[in-house]
This record gives sequence, C-alpha cells and structure tokens, in this order.
Amino acid sequence: MSKRKSSNEHRDRIEGWRKDAAGLNYEEALQALDLLLAELQNDSVPLAELQQRVLHGEVYLNRCQTLLDSVEQSIVELDPKTLEATNNA
Amino acid sequence: MSVDRLPTYSVAELNTAIGSLLERGFAPRFLLEATVSRPQLKKGHLWLTLTDGDASISGVVWASKLAQLSYRPEDGDGVTVVGKLNFWAARASLTVQALDIRPSLSTVLRDFERVRQLLEQEGVIDPRRARQLPSQPSAIAVLTSVPSSALADMLRTAAERWPLTQLIVVPIPVQGSVAPTIINTLEALAERSMELGLQALVLARGGGSREDLAVFDNENLCRVLADYPIPVVTGLGHEDDLTVADLVADHRAATPTAAIVALLPDREAERQGLVQRQSRLKDALQGRILRERQRLKDRAFAMQHQSPLEKIRRQRQDLDQKQLLLKALSPDRWLKRGLALVSNATGDIIQDLESVKIGDQLNIRMSDGTLEARVDQIQRSSTNPTS
Repeated sequence: MSKRKSSNEHRDRIEGWRKDAAGLNYEEALQALDLLLAELQNDSVPLAELQQRVLHGEVYLNRCQTLLDSVEQSIVELDPKTLEATNNA
Repeated sequence: MSVDRLPTYSVAELNTAIGSLLERGFAPRFLLEATVSRPQLKKGHLWLTLTDGDASISGVVWASKLAQLSYRPEDGDGVTVVGKLNFWAARASLTVQALDIRPSLSTVLRDFERVRQLLEQEGVIDPRRARQLPSQPSAIAVLTSVPSSALADMLRTAAERWPLTQLIVVPIPVQGSVAPTIINTLEALAERSMELGLQALVLARGGGSREDLAVFDNENLCRVLADYPIPVVTGLGHEDDLTVADLVADHRAATPTAAIVALLPDREAERQGLVQRQSRLKDALQGRILRERQRLKDRAFAMQHQSPLEKIRRQRQDLDQKQLLLKALSPDRWLKRGLALVSNATGDIIQDLESVKIGDQLNIRMSDGTLEARVDQIQRSSTNPTS
C-alpha cells in the first residue's frame, strides 16, 4: 500500500515538473538544465536526491528537444502605419 | 527651288508642326544623364536646368510627381532622369518633363561620405557602441519590402535555422519618399518593442543598385537606428554595398539572408549540444556513485591507518628495526672476526696500557667465551700504527 502511494507521489512530482517546464521557452529550459548539470557534476546534490535531480534534468532536456523539433514558425505581419497585425502572413 | 513649292506656315502652324514631328519622331520615354543646375520651386513645380557642361536643356518635375520622388535633387547633383519631351507650341519651347529622378552613383557616394563623416565626428558611428546580439531571441522584427524575394529568403532561412523565434514582419516602402515613412515605422515600432517582446531588429533590402540603397544613408534614419532600443542588424543590398545604416547598426550582415543567419542560432548545432547534455545527465548518476565509492575507500583506508592494532603493528615494526640496528652495531661482529675485548677485574674496558700494571687480572672476551689472564709484562709499542 505504501509502495503504491510512493509510486503515485513520484509520478505526480514528475508531472508537476513537466507542467512547469511546459511554461519555459527554449533558453529558459536550457538554462535550468545547465544549472542542474553543474550541481550534479560538482557533487553538491545529496545522494538521496540524486535520482530525482537526474529525472528533473531529463524533463528539461525533453522540453528543449520538443521545442527544437517544432517546425512551425510564428510569423506576424504588422501594418506599417498602425502596427496592428494583418492577416497576410 | 520655287517659292511656290515651299511650305508656308503661320507661327502657330509652324510650332504645331514641330510639335507633331517631335511627337512622332522622338522616343516617348528616355533616360537622361545630367547634372542639375539651379533647381527652383515655382508654384509647387520643380524647375531645373539639366546640363553636361557643354549642353543644357530645361527640365521640370510637376508637383504631383515631385511628391512621389524618393530624392530631391540639389544644385550640382549628378542625376539620371526618366523623362519625356514637352513641347509648348505657343512659345516653341522644349522642356524635359521628369517622371522620375534618381541620384547618380557619384551623388549617392558623396552623400554617404558626408553623413558618415558627420556621424563619425559626433560619435554616432563608433564600433564600441555595437551591442551583443541575443543568442536565442524569442521575437525579432523584420523590416523589409513585402512581398519581396529578400523576405522570402529570410523566412526560408529562419524556418531552417530556428523556427522558435517569432518573426514580426513590418513592410517598408521602397518607392517614393521613403525615408520619413521608414523613420515613422521605426519609431512606432520602438515604442512597442517591449510589448511585442522584440529582442532585435533586422533592416533588410534585397539587391539592386547602390543608388537604390541611398535611403539608408539618410542622416535622420541613421540617427534613429543608432539610438534604437534593441540591437539592429542590417542586411542591405549586395555584399559589397556599404551604407551609413550599416555603420550605425550593431551588426552588419552582407545580405538579408546573412542577417537572419547572424541573429538566429543553428538548430542542428543546438541539437548536438542537447545530445552532449543528455550524455552528461546519463553519466551523472554512475559517475557520482563511482566517486562516492572512491571516497568511501579513501575513508576506510584512513580509518584502518588510525586503528590501535595498526598502531601496535607499526610500533612493533619500529622496534624490530631498532633491534636490527642494535645487532648491526654490537661488538659481537668484531669478536667473530678474531678480535677480543679486554676488561679489568671491575669490568672496565681496557683501551690503553696506561690503565694496566703488572700483576693485574684481565678478562679477555672472545666470540665463544672468556679467558682470565694475568699481566706478566708490559711492552709499549715504539710507534702508533694509526698515526
């Protein structure tokens, strides 16, 4: 029973990270990943948290990869006089 | 030739005949290369003399056309005029009606030099003012003519390199009096740059002649660019074209496409960077465990070194060494080689004859036992063999 509870907590935590990462742009997600990697490499993370941090890093990495794979570029054309968006682009 | 056979005209008829001859026999449009002399505005129309030094002809730009010109000729300017002939029959006067006037290359370059020198003196053109470009801009403004091949090239390049950046395209005119319009657009966009999240501006125009880029030497336009709130990248004309706008920009790209390349990162290079990070992340766990294991080993070794048993072992080892040393220094080694130790009855070692007299009892210690002896005779050596 407690094992199942723990597994649910774990899943919820990862889901929470994913939601947070979804709000980041590429540069922000990459910065978060680099910060985490630096912590991991200078051994400042307690051993008990190591696995969690690596999983958190993977969430940031996935966010970066997803953004990088997007092919749709947002192009907005503005009217030069009003600077309001036109529908030409 | 008989006078009867000569055509006879009234003045009006003659002038009309000349007019109709010109109309039939002369190209309806032509290009005229000339230098402008004494331009004057009269009732909104620009009157001027077009000359090449030896010959001259009067010219006019009607007020309606004048408003559309991107360039207003000044006295001494070299120009290329797209014109047609106007013949006024009433006074038989001939004028070139200018449909368009463009500055000649020499005029454009002279203006470029003038503005460049002025802005350099004022410190507006200064390479140290160039700001760093954003590494992964979330949104950039692209000012160029729409539609144009330059824009199409830029959009294609942006899609290939970095689709994550939002492109805000703002059309700018290329015909007519464009400098004030471009300045207005630039200023309005600068006010909204924060709201639009703009991180850089690209000012681009596709190829063409250097004369077509003359607007980018406009002093006011260049001042606006120099003080722009976000970094400016120019991609104007061909690789060899240099305008004042290029000199005040934070980065000058050779072409519109190059401007996009300068500003947007390369997706493939970034992908490689992510692969490397993925591998570092993967190794982080294993590497840390290896390092912690090594740390444990180091500590165990240190602990072992500090244990009481180990201390006793080390002390024993120390004693053993001292014992060996003692053995090495013991006189037994000498006794085994045939030498003997002589002592008196009280056990003092006899080192010379001074401490011995006849009748003394002596003990002579050898390697395998002791002899007891009495001194019968004392015989001193005549010389000391060591001296």
